[in-house]
Amino acid sequence: MTLALSRALLSLASRSLGSDRRTWAMAMEAEFETAVEDRRPFMFALGCLFAAWREIGKRSEGRLILANYALALGLLIPMAALQFQQAVGFLSLAEGPPFGVPRAGDGPNLYLIWSQNSAIPILLITWLLLGMAHLCLARMLVEGDWPRIVKCGMLIGAAMITLSLFMGVLMLDLSSLRAQVAELATEFVAVVAMSRWHIRVLACASRDLLAQ
Amino acid sequence: MGRNRRPSKQMLLLLEALSARTQQWRHGYDLMKETRLLSGTLYPLLIRMTDLGLVEAEWREPEHLGRPARHAYRLTNAGVAFARTVAPASPTTFTKAALA
Repeated sequence: MTLALSRALLSLASRSLGSDRRTWAMAMEAEFETAVEDRRPFMFALGCLFAAWREIGKRSEGRLILANYALALGLLIPMAALQFQQAVGFLSLAEGPPFGVPRAGDGPNLYLIWSQNSAIPILLITWLLLGMAHLCLARMLVEGDWPRIVKCGMLIGAAMITLSLFMGVLMLDLSSLRAQVAELATEFVAVVAMSRWHIRVLACASRDLLAQ
Repeated sequence: MGRNRRPSKQMLLLLEALSARTQQWRHGYDLMKETRLLSGTLYPLLIRMTDLGLVEAEWREPEHLGRPARHAYRLTNAGVAFARTVAPASPTTFTKAALA
C-alpha cells in the first residue's frame, strides 16, 4: 500500500516537472529503486514531489502546468458537476406537467407530451455526455494532450447545439441553457487562452533547444 | 541564485560531500544519506547547481543487472573552484553540527 502510494507520488512529481526537466524526473525514478531497498520509498517520493513543486513556479512551463490544474479544478470539474446536476434536475422535472406550456383551459396537448417524453432519454444522455466530456477535458488539459482537447471541445460544442435544438423545439424552453451558454463561452475563452500560452511556451522551449 | 550570494547550509553540505572526491561520480541517494538532506532539498539543489555549471550530471550503467541506469553527479572545475572559495581552511567547517 505504502509502495503503491509512493509510486503514485513519484509519478505525480515526474509529471509536475515537465518536459524540460524530464532528465531530473528520470533521475528521481531511477533512485526510487534504491529508496525501496532502503525501506524509505514514501519519504523519498514525498520529497521528490516537494522538489518538483518547488521547481514549478520558477519556469514558464511550470506556471502553465499550474494554470492548467487551476482551470481543470476551478472551472471544468465544477462545469461537469453542473451538467450532472442539470441532468438529475431535468429528470425530476420530466415527471411534472409539459415543458414551456402555460396552464391553458384546453387541457394537455397529447402530441406535445408524447414528443417531450420521447425526447427525455436523448436529452438526459446528452447532458450526461456533456458532464463526462468536461471531466475528460479536465484530464486532457492536465496531461497537455491538445489534439484530444480539440476533439473533446468539438464534442462539447456539438452536444450543446443538440441540446439547444431539442430544448428549443421540443421543450419550448431555453431558460435552463442560458447560464450554461455563458459558462461554456467563458470555458472556451479560457481554453483558447491556455492553448496560446502553450504555443508560446513550446516555441520558447524549441528556440532554447535549437540554441543548445 | 547569483554566485556572489552566500550559499545555504544545505548547499555547503552538498559541496562538502561532492568535493571530498571530486573525480568520483556520486548517486543522488548516496548523497542524501551522506549529507542527511531529504530528496525535497537535495534535488532542487542539484538542479540549481547543474544550471549554474557547478555540478555535472551523467547517466551511469547500473551496478546490478536488470536495474535502471542511475544519474550520477560530480563537481565541475568551476564547482571545485567555488567549493574552495566558500570553504575555509578546515574541511570540518562543513559538518552539520558546525553549521547548526
